[in-house]
This record gives sequence, C-alpha cells and structure tokens, in this order.
Amino acid sequence: MLFWVIAAILTLGASLAVLLPLTGGMKGASPAGDHDLEVYRDQLSELDRDMARGLIQPGEAEEARAEIGRRILRLGAAAQPGAAMPKPARSARWVASVAVLAVPLLSWGLYGMLGSPDLPSQPLAERLAKNPADSSVDELVARAEAHLAANPSDGKGWDVLAPIYLRLQRFPDAVTAYRNAIRLDGDSAVRQSGLGEAIASAAGGIVSADAQKAFEAALKLDPANAKANFYLAMGLAQEGKKADAVAAWQKMLGQLAPDSPWRSAVQQALGEAGEPAVADAAPAKGPGAQQVEAAQQMSPQDRRAMIETMVAGLDDKLKQNPRDEEGWMRLIRSYVVLGKADQARDALGRAVAAFGADSEQAKKFTAFAASLGVTATE
Amino acid sequence: MVETGHFALVLAFALSLVQMLVPLVGARTGNQRLMAVGGPVTVTGFALTALSFAALASAYAGSDFSVASVWENSHSLQPMIYKITGTWGNHEGSMLLWVLILTFFGALVAVLGNNLPATLKANVLAVQGMIGAAFFLFILATSNPFIRLNPAPIEGRDLNPILQDLGLAIHPPMLYLGYVGFSICFSFSVAALIEGRIDASWARWVRPWTLVAWMFLTGGIAMGSYWAYYELGWGGFWFWDPVENASFMPWLAGTALLHSAIVMEKRSALKIWTLLLAILTFSLSLLGTFLVRSGVLTSVHAFATDPARGVFILCILTLFIGGSLALFALRASRLTVGGLFHPISREGALVLNNLFLTTATATVLVGTLYPLALEALTGGKISVGAPFFDLTFGPLMLPLLAIVPFGPLLAWKRGDVIAASQRLMAAFAAAIAAMLVTGLFIDGASVFAALGVGLAVWLVGGALTDLAVKSGFGSVAPAVMLRRLVGLPRSVFGTALAHLGLGLTLLGIVGTLCFGTEKILSMRPGETVELSGHTLRFEGLSPQKGPNFTEDRGRFLLMGADGNADGAITSAKRFYPVRQTVTTESGIRTIGLSQLYLSLGDENNDGSVVVRLWWKPLVTLIWGGGLVMMAGAAVSLLDRRLRVGAPAKRRTPAAALANPT
Amino acid sequence: MTRKQKRMSVVLAGLAFLGAAAGLTFYALGQKASYFYMPADLATASVPPGQRIRLGGLVEKGTIVRGQGATVAFSVTDKQKSVKVTYTGILPDLFREEQGVITEGAFGPDGVFVADSVLAKHDERYMPKEVADGLKAKGVWQESTN
Repeated sequence: MLFWVIAAILTLGASLAVLLPLTGGMKGASPAGDHDLEVYRDQLSELDRDMARGLIQPGEAEEARAEIGRRILRLGAAAQPGAAMPKPARSARWVASVAVLAVPLLSWGLYGMLGSPDLPSQPLAERLAKNPADSSVDELVARAEAHLAANPSDGKGWDVLAPIYLRLQRFPDAVTAYRNAIRLDGDSAVRQSGLGEAIASAAGGIVSADAQKAFEAALKLDPANAKANFYLAMGLAQEGKKADAVAAWQKMLGQLAPDSPWRSAVQQALGEAGEPAVADAAPAKGPGAQQVEAAQQMSPQDRRAMIETMVAGLDDKLKQNPRDEEGWMRLIRSYVVLGKADQARDALGRAVAAFGADSEQAKKFTAFAASLGVTATE
Repeated sequence: MVETGHFALVLAFALSLVQMLVPLVGARTGNQRLMAVGGPVTVTGFALTALSFAALASAYAGSDFSVASVWENSHSLQPMIYKITGTWGNHEGSMLLWVLILTFFGALVAVLGNNLPATLKANVLAVQGMIGAAFFLFILATSNPFIRLNPAPIEGRDLNPILQDLGLAIHPPMLYLGYVGFSICFSFSVAALIEGRIDASWARWVRPWTLVAWMFLTGGIAMGSYWAYYELGWGGFWFWDPVENASFMPWLAGTALLHSAIVMEKRSALKIWTLLLAILTFSLSLLGTFLVRSGVLTSVHAFATDPARGVFILCILTLFIGGSLALFALRASRLTVGGLFHPISREGALVLNNLFLTTATATVLVGTLYPLALEALTGGKISVGAPFFDLTFGPLMLPLLAIVPFGPLLAWKRGDVIAASQRLMAAFAAAIAAMLVTGLFIDGASVFAALGVGLAVWLVGGALTDLAVKSGFGSVAPAVMLRRLVGLPRSVFGTALAHLGLGLTLLGIVGTLCFGTEKILSMRPGETVELSGHTLRFEGLSPQKGPNFTEDRGRFLLMGADGNADGAITSAKRFYPVRQTVTTESGIRTIGLSQLYLSLGDENNDGSVVVRLWWKPLVTLIWGGGLVMMAGAAVSLLDRRLRVGAPAKRRTPAAALANPT
Repeated sequence: MTRKQKRMSVVLAGLAFLGAAAGLTFYALGQKASYFYMPADLATASVPPGQRIRLGGLVEKGTIVRGQGATVAFSVTDKQKSVKVTYTGILPDLFREEQGVITEGAFGPDGVFVADSVLAKHDERYMPKEVADGLKAKGVWQESTN
C-alpha cells in the first residue's frame, strides 16, 4: 500500500515537472545574438587584463581587438530586427498534451510489466531476526552459516551442515563443510564418504580422483562403509571396468544388512550394468541411486513431492517400529529440510516418547534437533 | 524500497522520452513553453535516477538477496565497504551508475545553463535526453538491476574477489564521469548541427565540460592502472589490453578536443574540426562501453555477458555515431569558418598537437579493432599487444612530447619560434644535462633510457619556463614577479600543471621500464635476497583469516644497512571459498618515489615458496603525474573566463568584468 | 608562394604524415601481431622457431613439473595434440590441471615452447575466449550450464 502511495507521489511530481513549464508564463528570452555579444565583450575585457599583466604584446592586442570588433560588427549585420518569435502553434499544444499524458501512462504501464510491486524488501538482517519456527530451511541454513562464520572452528556445526548441503544440492558448499569438519573434528568414515559423495555430486556424479581418495580414506576407517563401497564401484564402472564394478556390487549385496538402504541402490546399479542382482530383495528404506538421479532431473515441485512421499513412508515405518534411532533422526532432519517445522517438532516429541524422556537417545535427539533449529518446547 | 527504486527508474525513462522530444519540437517551432520543459524534466529525471540508485545501493548494503543482482554479486559476510561498492561492481549496477552520471550532468546543464541561448539549451537537453532514453531502455530491456527472486535465496554468490578492493570503489565512477562528461560536448555539437550555427558561447561551454570529463577520465585511467598494478600481482602498470585501450582512446581524443577547443574559444577558428572531435570523442566513449559490455572482449571487466546486450549496445552505437556523423556531413558546410592563422603560431602548435593525438588515437583504434575484424572476417585469431603499440604509438608520442613546451610560449596568430627557443634554453640545458648524467653515470642505461629521461626533464622544465616567462622572471623585481605569478589567469597554471604532470608520468614510465630490476626465485624461511641494494629476509608463511576469505600470508623483512629490520612487507595468497577463487595480494613498500614490489607464487614440495620481486624506480610518478594533470584541469576550471556570457545579467557581472579591479 | 600554394603544401604535408603513420601501423600489424594457435593447428601451420605466437589449450593432466627455482614445465593440449611448454615465473592464481590457459612466447630450437607469459582464465565463469572457441570447434568442450 505504502509503495503505491509513493509511486503515485513520484508520478505526480514527474508529471508536474512537465506540466508546470507548459502552463507557466512566457519569459522574454533574449535572441542568440545578445549572448554572442556578451561573449565578445568579455573577450575584449580579457584582452585588457592580459595586456595589463603583460601577457601579450600591445601589437598583438591591437590586432586581436580589431578581430573581435569585426565579429561584433558581423553580429550586428546578421541580427535583423523583426525576427520575432512565432506564435505558439496548435501542434505545440498537441505535443504538450501527449507529453503530459505519456509520463503516467508509460511509467505505470511499463512498471506493470516489469515490476514486482507485492514483493517487499528483504534485508538479510531482518529475515534472520524472525522466529526460527517460521523460517524456511534456507534461512535455518543461513543461520547456521552465520553461526559458523562467527565460530569457524566449530567442527560439530560443519558436521551438521554438510549433509544438509548435500541434500540441498549445494555440493561445493558440502565439500567445504565436510573438509572443515574433517579438519576440525578429525577423520571418520561417515565424513570421508560424505566428502566423496559431495565431490562426486559436484562433478555431476563422476567419481574423480579426489572423490576416490576420500572414499578410500573412509574404507580405511570402516571397511564396511556402504556409501564408499558403492561409489568406488561406481567409479570402476565409469572407468569402463564393468566386471570389477559388478563384482564389487555383488560382494556388497552379500555383506549388507537386509534392511540396509543401500540394497536397492546396488540392485539398481547392477540392473543398469546389465547384471541381475543376487535374488535377495529385501525391502529398501533409503532412496536408490536412480531415485536420486530422477529427483535431480525433476522440476522442484515434483522433487518436493517425491521427497515428501519418501518422508511419509519413513514416518509410517517409524510408527510401526519406533525403536529406530537413526530413522528418527533422519525423519526430523527431513522435516526440517522440507521446512515443516511443526512436524519436525512433532517427530522429535514422538522420538523422545519412544525411548523415554530420560534415555540417552532422547538427549541425543534433543541436541540433534536443536542443532537444526528445532526445539521441543511447546 | 527496492520496488520504489524500480518504479523511479521506469519513471525516469518516461521523463527522458519527454526530455528528448518536447524541447526539440520547441526549438524547431520557436515555442518558449515547450523549450522550457527541458530544464525541470532533466532535473526531475536526475532526482528519480538518484532515488533508483540509492534504492539499489541500500539493497546491496542490506544484503537483500531477493534482488537478483545482489544475490549474484554480493555476500552477507563481505565487509560493508565492498557491499556498497559492489553496487557498481557488476554489469547492471554499473549501467545504472552510467545513467545516473548522465542525468546528473544533464541536470547541471539545466541548472547552470541559464546564460545559454534558449534554443541551444533546449537542443542540448534534447540530445542528452536521447542518450538517456537509449540507455534507460537498454537497462530496462536487458540489464534490469531490479529483477526480483521469490523466494529469496539466503546467501549471495559473492563479488568477484579481485573486484573486492578499494580501487574498485573509485575507478569505475571516475571513468564514467569521464566517459559521460564527453556526452555533454557531444550534445552541444549535435545541438549546434541541428541549429546550423555555432554560438560564440558554444566554446565557452564545451571547454569546461571537456576539462571536467578529461580530468575524471585521467583520474579513472590512472586509478585503473594502479589498481591493475597492485591487484593483479604482475607488477605491470599498462598492458595495452583492449579494455584499457577502450578508455585510452577517448582520453587521447579528449586531449585533442581540450586543445582545439582553446583555439576555437580564443580565435573562433577550427570550429568544424572541434565539433567533429567532440562527436568522435564521445563516440569512442560509447565504443569503449560497447567493447567492455558486449562480451566481444573478455577480461576482468567483462562481467557475465549476454549476446542480447551486445546487439543492443551495437544498435545504440550505430544510432548515435552514425546519426551524428550523418548530421555532421549534412550540416557542417553551413557553419562559418573562423579566423586565419600562420602555421607557426599557438594555433599552429595546437593543430600539430591535434594531428599527432588523433593519429595516435587512430593507431590505438586499429590495434584494438583489427583482431576483432580479422576474426569476424577470416576466423583467424591474432593478438595485438605491446610490441605493436611500441612501434606505432611510441614514434607518434616522441615528437609530440618534444614540441609540447613550445606551444604555450608561442603567440596567437603569428608566433616566433626563435624567441620561444631562447626562452626554453634553460629547460633544454637541463634536459641535455639529465641525458648526460643518465647515460654516463647510471649503469646499464641505454640510449633510449637517456633520451626518455631527457624528454621528461624537458617537459617539466618547459612547464616551469612557461610560468616563469609569464610572470616576468628575470625582467622584473622578485616581489613584482611573485605578484604577477599569483595574478596569472588560472588557465595558465592549468596548462603548466598538466604539462608538468605529463613530464612526471613519462619520468615514472622511463624509470620503471629502463631501470627496474626483477628476480624470480624459490625462498625458504630465513633466506635473504638482495635486489638493487635492498636486502629482504623471508620470515615464512602464516595462515590468516579474513571476513570472507582465508589467506597464507608471507612476511618479508626489509633489512637496513646496519643489519636491523627496517619494516616488513607482506604478500598473501587469498582463497575465497564462495567463488572457489585464489587471488594474490602483492606486497608493496614505497621508498621515496620508488617501490619494492613482491608477490608470492606457489609453494614447492620442499617447503620453499616461489617469490617474484621487482624494484621499480620512480614508479609512483606514473600515477602521481596523473594526479598533477588532474590538478591542472581542476585549476583551469576555476578560471573566471569560463563563467561568463549571460545577457540577462548584463548590468552587474559584465560591468564588473569590464572594469576589473 | 601564394596563399593557395601554401595551403596546398600544408595539406600535402599533413597527408604525407598520415600516410606514413598508416604505413607504419600496417607494417607493425604484420610484424608485431602474434597469432593464436591451438596445439593441433601447429601441425598444419609451420611456425619457425623464434616467431612469437600465442598458444592456447588445456593444461594436460599430470604434466606439471616444477624444476629448479621458479621454472615450470607443462604440456598444453587440445585433446588431439599436445605441446611441451616451459615457463619461468609465477603462474597465475587460476593455473590448474585441465584448465584453459593462453601462453605467449616462441618455440625454441628443440621444439619446446618457451613462454614468457601465461594467462589463465580470470574468472570461474569462463575460459579464455580463444581457448573456449577453439575447443568448441574441435568438439571437445561444452559450455557448462551454470
């Protein structure tokens, strides 16, 4: 509303700038010859000054004076009297009305096409000062970033932020965050494999030498790390060593827990590699590689819908089997990522209830949720 | 606030259309009321553009990432100063700055131009309106800085790190003040062509505008050169890069215009030529804008580019350059030619100056455009760099610089070279002495270096001689001389200062190019290196953290003659994580007029670091000379002569002027 | 001399001056402009040792060898041919493996390109333009979408 008032005032001012001179009285303007005469007179006086200072010789000065005199004479001859200003013509009135009308019409029309009048200014400081519950994921992430900017050696902060970046597809940020987490809080298989995934994702899924290095580091710490094994096999496949890749994936299927989320991803990959999976199709929990890939190609709305379906599935599963510690944390984080702060809080409440309010797990949940900006109060 | 800025921009565009049409019609039909619209519309247009710019700047300062341009070129962790300078550190914002300056100058003409003949003023404002309308349309159609994002991202993508520097705060605005300042000269020329007559007050108006534009352009180029020198870490001050040439060409043409406008004002001669030069100078400014903005050239200056923008600017370019030259071809014959003069005279010297400067402009133009033309025609890729310009631009400049001291000492109309030479004997002797001293006593000085030093001293001596002669040195008592010196017209000081500055810049260039030394080596902490009598000890690298970057800072101690440390120099490799960019911060220590310059390279596997060191004698004079030239222009602007010419106030100021106290 | 003759001589002198300047300019363009080549172009174009050219391409992976002091050797490739380059000095900040560079210098008698300047891309967003065009023409590089 305020904006429209300001716009109206500005338009009024601009229109007046056109209108007022048109309606104003006629000032008697002096003909151009008078202006020229003024300049020549000044040139004469300047000549006198220069001569008084001795800057020019009297002879030169005389010559120059004669020259200026000739110019003044020529001016007098050219300026014939009676060269009166013509009367304002009808066409002038026409031009004037068009001009006065053009300013408001053109500006409102053009602004209507280009502008976003309903969008308020959103300075960052104002946005960050809002209640966290109303904030979007992006804003929560920004808050975490602001916190890390102030405390860059908070390894835990980086550790929390890194997987979120990965999910938000901010891969280069995820790489930086994982690197910082590793630098500050030390190596771990999860961090190294996350780093590898971030590097690979940033490169569009290609397992580069850097990514490979990270995955190998992860395996050194935890030889059973599924993500690292999976991606290293993927890297083999990308290098053209299909047989090795298939062997590695087959081996993974043999070792993975029956409910491992990686199972379906491996099967998917094997399917793509043209090899049938070992017939052991346990229900998959996590999203498979193809699903993730599909999500990357989807429109934002579709992607969100898919993620929401997956989250709803996880929620159902947890209702049936509430003693799944990792599952709860995944659920809370998912709701935060989706911007559903209320449901995240609800999930936190249910998770705490499932393990008992005084349990070790409950404390862990609360701390985890707090790090994402979700509190159990209310 | 953001949308208010957007609306103000659109409104300013609408007003620029009125500004370009109504006063023009008024001047054609002799309608006073229509002509009178020009002034208020121009001033209001400026106020709206300023409001728009303020809105954008406040969006940048407040990190409002709902504005696409802010999101692309800013980051919430940037220091406040770079948040604000980031407003014009990108294509959209810099174009808004361009029109802001354009409308500002237009408004100045509207406010100060009451002493102009009414039709001239109306036509000038109309032409300014045309330029404004074209660029407003360009901004709104292809480079709108107020495009919004909804929902707003929470963090920006950061300003290009090498632009995060104080130099950026100053360089583009100065350059634009120069470029756009010439638009006023252009508008005056086109207005004169439309009217078919050149008023006597024409030159009185064009000259100060040329001075203003030239002053800022000089400063902008000097600033840009210094910025490249310390920020890019290559230790060079001029690369003959096409983008640098784009700003240098209007400067050369503008320098020619500055001189021919003097002839025109004093002697009513060279009218048509001056008109043409004014058109050419602004055309070159537009060409510079086109080359930099269109993506035809790639360099630090080419922000994210877009073919649509290039085509649009090319259209603007064709319209204005083609239109004005066509008008010139049609109308120039109607203008009266002015006074005659002898080849050996002040006018003759200034014509020679113009001949050299315009030819030099042409060689730079050829060197800049030839690779583009060749690629467009044959697909062949060549680069034209320093060797080409050394061979073409150099030989043109040397004779020009050699005759500079004669110019101010020659009389108008018919000059006396012999008398001028006699007066310059002292300067000449000083130049010869400097050449001999350089050639004989400085090791490794080439003939070329000696000549360069001699020429520089000749220019400085010539400028001082001019002042000495005009204040009557040697022929009157010292007290009288001092009084006369103080009483000299400001423009005389302006000329002398500008020529003095030119000499100083030349001295700096010759000193740096001919006597500079350079070393590249790997250093381990604790090692020392000696360069041109200065001993440096490498203390080691230490990691540091800045607001939006991390850096490895190398510390070097400058060792005094007594073996104690005499201050430190630091150079750093900075890493900006948002853009994943590394930059080198060079370490500079100024000793007298010279500088010790060092920059860090990569770390080797054995822990040593590659270091490049330069000793750059007299290097600060290159830019110091530029500042002196700027001061010359500023002093010249204060000359009382430039404030005259209003018949309406005939009684008071003219009477006062006729009887100076 | 009559006034007309005088004016003619001034005009002629001016024209002679302009002619000399134009001649010098075109001579300099022929002599001092350096041509741009990609490694594969060098097979067809014969570039004698000592002639200044600009050589552009990608820094070949695994070829960067740091020698004594500040001398660096690397290969520039367009994925078809590659050329060995040596350079003494500080490499630009954005010099990396697999990144576009433009080097300027001349071939030594041994067929190694001795560069006296190495330019990398200035900005994350683009390659040196000549290199990008050349690689696109050879079909080995596509512009990334972001």
